[in-house]
Amino acid sequence: MPIKTSDQSFTTRLKESEADKFMQRAVAKAQDAQWDKRTSSREDLGNWPQWRELGEQIRQHVIRYLPDYLERFSNNVEARGGHVFFASTDEEASSYIQQIAVDLDAHHIVKSKSMVTTEIDLDKKLLELPDRTLLESDLAEFILQEDDFDEPTHIVFPTLHKNRDQIQTIFQKIGYTGSNDPQEMARFARKYLRASFLEADMGITGCNFAVAENGLINLVTNEGNADLVMAIPKTQVVVMGMERLVPTMQEAAVLDTMLARSAVGQRMTSYATFCGPAMPDEIDGPENFYVVILDNGRSNALGGQFEQVLQCIRCGACLNVCPVYRHIGGHGYGSIYPGPIGAVLSPVLRGYELFGDLPFASSLCGACSETCPVKIPLHELLIKHRAVMNDRLKLDHSFNNTVMHGIGMATGTPPMFRMALDVDHAMSGAMVKHDAPTVENFSNHNGYFIHAPGMAKGWTDSRDLPRPPKHKENFRSWFKHHQEASHD
Amino acid sequence: MTEREVFLNHLAEASGRPRHQLVDHPFIPINSLPQTTLSDLSADELLNLAQTRSEALQVEFHLTSQKKLPQVLNVWLKAQQAQNILLPTDPRLSEYGLDQWLAHLTPTPRFWQPNAGRATNLDAASHADAAISVGDYLLAESGTLTVATTRGQGRAFHFLPTHYLSIIPRSHVVPRSYQAMKAYRHALQNGTLQTSNINFISGPSNSGDIEMVLIVGVHGPLTVSYVVIDDA
Repeated sequence: MPIKTSDQSFTTRLKESEADKFMQRAVAKAQDAQWDKRTSSREDLGNWPQWRELGEQIRQHVIRYLPDYLERFSNNVEARGGHVFFASTDEEASSYIQQIAVDLDAHHIVKSKSMVTTEIDLDKKLLELPDRTLLESDLAEFILQEDDFDEPTHIVFPTLHKNRDQIQTIFQKIGYTGSNDPQEMARFARKYLRASFLEADMGITGCNFAVAENGLINLVTNEGNADLVMAIPKTQVVVMGMERLVPTMQEAAVLDTMLARSAVGQRMTSYATFCGPAMPDEIDGPENFYVVILDNGRSNALGGQFEQVLQCIRCGACLNVCPVYRHIGGHGYGSIYPGPIGAVLSPVLRGYELFGDLPFASSLCGACSETCPVKIPLHELLIKHRAVMNDRLKLDHSFNNTVMHGIGMATGTPPMFRMALDVDHAMSGAMVKHDAPTVENFSNHNGYFIHAPGMAKGWTDSRDLPRPPKHKENFRSWFKHHQEASHD
Repeated sequence: MTEREVFLNHLAEASGRPRHQLVDHPFIPINSLPQTTLSDLSADELLNLAQTRSEALQVEFHLTSQKKLPQVLNVWLKAQQAQNILLPTDPRLSEYGLDQWLAHLTPTPRFWQPNAGRATNLDAASHADAAISVGDYLLAESGTLTVATTRGQGRAFHFLPTHYLSIIPRSHVVPRSYQAMKAYRHALQNGTLQTSNINFISGPSNSGDIEMVLIVGVHGPLTVSYVVIDDA
């Protein structure tokens, strides 16, 4: 599937997500569990703020000198005997890889998990070729593929929205007869996929980091499938976003440990590998090695106010702390990149017409920015998106501007402000409700708005707004009274 | 102009920054945490940490002398009920005093053979229920074993067998990835190491993809053991 995963409106997706109670429970459970693991692993490392500064510095340095690092990296891949293709669009990338499969007569393709191959819709493109098999070998991606390429819901835990019974049913379609026990189902997948690995003649991987100094690809996984993809087939194709460079293996090691701690709360993933084309006297590994470097809209961010989004190392920590993601899950976003990072990145890659809703899918609480291991100010970038949309799409904000100007003048002029406080309670009388106090409105005993006018409407669409207190009960009166009492 | 030049020029233009500035602006890290973290630990403390962190990953950890190494390996092979054993073709097996043990090992092991073809070696690895490798370094911080691919110990050697054990000398237990990476980079740059692949392995393969339940043993080995030879 390409970046956009749904043709439904944002509102429809939200309603569907709201109805999916299993998904909501699963996301909440995952977020809570990951909170503990992530926090613990960061404390265990020590000096986390300084590690974040280092991570940010590495990523910003690479983005600043990106063309130079890409040049150095591609030279070193070619010096090792590999091939590098620079693709400006998803179509260029997928067509090039399709042609490799044709030219090398590769018929059995295995893949490891890669968001960027999902971004270019590579699986379907390769399966358009006659007599080809293609298997996703990451357990979660395998489950999604066997469920008719269902869309992922999380960039690290793609099947978070599926329960064990659903997965059992999916596996039964390919001959599974066991129980819904996760261990038993994983053993089935291991056996099923092992046969495919051994007959594979083409492997496709993503790339966590590409090492400029020596042309090696750095991949981190927990299952070991990516290492089999890099060991057994004679041909390997690596697909990478153009920003995934690091200067040397040392910086890759720094980011690997920050990635593992942020993504899954581990000190290191089970496997972290640096690989390139097999050397002439080595027995296994790829004899044919291709690296596809993809722009596909990333350059829209270069040099502008969204450049920091390119620092992302795809750990998914921002999803795991987001209150909005907790309620709507990945599918609610309608992008293969969900959560706060997806809400910033998707409009950069594909524009506001497709993803203009996403910058508003945020409470702007800032938890995403706080947890990001490379210090991307995600909530600030979301605000910038909103501002750009207002300007670029020429949304009429004259009324809001007038209201904000009036509020600014009233709050900045003491006599006007005091006058407003004198009359706000009385003036709001006709617009508020006066239900008897209950558990739900126990703090609204002076009445509350359910349909406030103007800019406050967005608030009352989803929650109540208490009526301003009477003049003699407001904070200023209360403070003055207590000040006088204390002097007495 | 090549497709690469068009691509890179576009990036430079989009960013508003000219190309070829890196020579004058190399990356200089803002702090030295990668090399200083855990660097104050003594050799004994490092070993203890390596053991604790490895066992937290469900790794079976052994410390033994070179003299007792054959005995430790025999016990491990028996526990795995190994019928198909895979070993590397690597001079370090002799350095660790295993020649006699190898001569009497039953069932007869298969070796990753530098002069055999791809199919032969992959067949040996895929049928192995127990593989014994020689590791390069053990990272105390994360309980991570590192191995570089060689002619006698290929990539699939570490992933296809069902059970996996690696031998590491105690002198190669290092604080964290920084020290191992420094050694690898130096060896690659001066040509003493020629490899296309370096693996960092932290315990057995695992997954949380089904309802976040931890499953140990997915595509790689189901169990992992480290044997540290006390060469201090």
